[in-house]
Amino acid sequence: MTVTEDRPTYKWVGTRPIRHDGYEKVIGKARFAADLNLPGQLHAAYLRSPHGHARIISIDTSTAAGMPGVKAVVTGADFPDLDPTDPNFDVSVNVMARGMALYNGHALAAVAASTRAEAAAAVATIQVEYELLPVILTLDESMADDAPLVNEHNITRFVESDGPSNLATANVLERGDVDAAFAAADLVVEREFDTAFVHQGYIEPHGCVVDVGPNGKADIWASSQGHFMVRSLTAAILGWEPSKIKVTPAEIGGGFGGKTTIYLEPIAARLSQMSGRPVKLVMTREEVLRATGPAPASQSRVKIGASNDGELTAIECWFGYTVGCTNDLAGLIGAMSVASYKFPNLKLEAIGMLTNTPKTAAYRAPSAPQAAFAIESVIDEIAQALDMDPIDLRLKNAVVEGDPTAMGMPHPRIGFVECLEALRDSDHYRSPVPDGAARGIGSGFWFNIGEQSSATVNLNEDGTATVITGSPDIGGSRTSMALMAAEELGIDVYSITPVVADTESVGFTDVTEGSRATFSTGMAVVNACRELIEELRARAAKILGVEQDAVTWVDGTAVADGHDPLPLAAITAKAKSTGGPLTVTASLNAGGAGPSFAVHCCDLTVDEETGQVTILRYTATQDAGTAIHPSYVEGQMQGGTVQGIGWALNEEYVFDDEGSMENASFLDYRIPVASDLPMIDTIVIEVPNPAHPYGVRGVGETGIVPPMATIANAIARATSTRMTSLPMSPPKILAALDTP
Amino acid sequence: MPRVHLMSDHRRFTNGEAIVESEGATVGAVIAELEQRYPGLGEALTHGASAGVNGVIHSEPQYLAVDPDTDIYFVAPLTGG
Repeated sequence: MTVTEDRPTYKWVGTRPIRHDGYEKVIGKARFAADLNLPGQLHAAYLRSPHGHARIISIDTSTAAGMPGVKAVVTGADFPDLDPTDPNFDVSVNVMARGMALYNGHALAAVAASTRAEAAAAVATIQVEYELLPVILTLDESMADDAPLVNEHNITRFVESDGPSNLATANVLERGDVDAAFAAADLVVEREFDTAFVHQGYIEPHGCVVDVGPNGKADIWASSQGHFMVRSLTAAILGWEPSKIKVTPAEIGGGFGGKTTIYLEPIAARLSQMSGRPVKLVMTREEVLRATGPAPASQSRVKIGASNDGELTAIECWFGYTVGCTNDLAGLIGAMSVASYKFPNLKLEAIGMLTNTPKTAAYRAPSAPQAAFAIESVIDEIAQALDMDPIDLRLKNAVVEGDPTAMGMPHPRIGFVECLEALRDSDHYRSPVPDGAARGIGSGFWFNIGEQSSATVNLNEDGTATVITGSPDIGGSRTSMALMAAEELGIDVYSITPVVADTESVGFTDVTEGSRATFSTGMAVVNACRELIEELRARAAKILGVEQDAVTWVDGTAVADGHDPLPLAAITAKAKSTGGPLTVTASLNAGGAGPSFAVHCCDLTVDEETGQVTILRYTATQDAGTAIHPSYVEGQMQGGTVQGIGWALNEEYVFDDEGSMENASFLDYRIPVASDLPMIDTIVIEVPNPAHPYGVRGVGETGIVPPMATIANAIARATSTRMTSLPMSPPKILAALDTP
Repeated sequence: MPRVHLMSDHRRFTNGEAIVESEGATVGAVIAELEQRYPGLGEALTHGASAGVNGVIHSEPQYLAVDPDTDIYFVAPLTGG
């Protein structure tokens, strides 16, 4: 732990209490999406497209409808057709195909039956007549002049467009004169890179149970990164009023961006409405991989110029993201994520192209890892060419407060330099590289975002508190909220019960993305507590017979000169006689999310006979702002790092020529397991975010940005071979080593 | 007057100008004034762009107050994981 700026000393914030949800999760009592069962419940199963791209001529479900146990069957015809300009159109057609199968695995129909086996048997009888269409799987295929349309409804977003095309988005950011800067540079390094589709790999498959009552009111239990998002999207896709839907959040077994959208709920809701029974719909692992959003694949070209003393003078990049079968913002965000160095001359171009592959989704810091892999690899090559220490080169060029981002807007207070310095001074970096191993360095950036959150704090008659929020507890938000409330109210963190409430029991809260829950929802909790303290002072003034201004709140007690301190419990016990229940709700649209930087260091060996890479030691630094619960912060850093290691070394979607995923299981799509890795050491940098009352930045995303380049840079130093294609799997490494 | 920093695609409305000045007490008023001078730009900024103001990116900035010396950076919309 490194604290780099002075901040107040806290009693609770920054401590490591046992998580409030730990007991239920350890004993298996916590209920995830698939754990809920209702009386009379049906089980649903999907029919999915076996073709990568096809027009659906007809679907005959008549046999299925008469099969044993079958209670309802749905196809795209059972859902309203949204206008293609509707912001929810893409999600709607991804949930259930309408006339076109856009990728292998696209949902075409679903059956609800008494058992899952009966539903699956009925699905097998559904007859579909297809007109097969050309399948576009790669960026080059999608960009070809004569490329057929992947999706006839795709209109390019954010730039001028004159009709449907395969271009999702495009973005250009420029400053200075790159051509002149390259001409004047002492050294110019240019490389091309590519990365594969990778999945977020959450352990819990998507699942839900939906019960639509005779009054048309739907109860949904689902695992997601935001149950208000589930409500909004389900309502939009079904054409229902959001107020007719109540969503109760199940525990979530990982999301990482992949559960910021929906797949199941409208289907289960329609099946429940048609059958009059609750319907449970849970994906298999194969379905998760074939039909839920991977992160985009990418290609890129990066050219960086430098002076002989290590000043980075110009960067020119082109990033191409393959975003799957519907529009996505990856092409916009990728260019904006180039934010770590003071390039006076810059030209960044990025595009997103559609392919007949699953609709992509965010994966922690969406689009940034692909860009950072390319840029940080070239930065490392420059350090090697100039014989400079890779951290010194980065320190010489690192952005600080006031330096422009790629968009031109100045950086607020940031901690990139502090991360670099902490790693430089770490035991890991100061230790000799082990014999036969090599060391790599890489860095990463992510914006973080704010958005809307709500919180209600109820004080109970015994002086305890209930903190109610609408952010699903994905990364420890229950205990983080409790810690901030404990700090504000001055009571024990275990006197606080943090609750994640359903959509009818707490104010609207945006989906948990952009590392925003502890930042934004935490701010709502703090605001509610501060308002509550004002009310407590007023109640204490009544009890003590003094003016409110004479009462201060100190460590959980009301203090007034000439009186004994009045503990919280003494005030709550008299709530009725002093004005009624003590409860406050706060809501906000939070601005001021603090950008986060990370710098990683990896020691590894490469077996030049097998191509196997073995990670020996790995250290991750990250500017978290104030770490509310340091163990959770470290866990996010470790989790992001391990996922990045998988992205770097093993993980990739393998498609056949027709777009069928050939490795749709965790046996063949190999994510890292504990035995593959050493302990990931962490150094938490705390440069408080001035826009948050406790200095929170958010930590969930940046950790996945640096690992790919960090590992590639170590491999380059181990083998004198620059790997430019992910994953850097043994066959690719052997091929690269064999290339003269 | 607030200074408005435009992304590359928006510059097709301003004859290539990357930075333009515009009057208005809110981002929405600034956009409306720009629409008067550069037809089409206001629509592009209203539907599809976020705005960075005083170091903070806002996804729906139209009612955000700005001062005469404010720099407004229109940027692509952000999402997160």
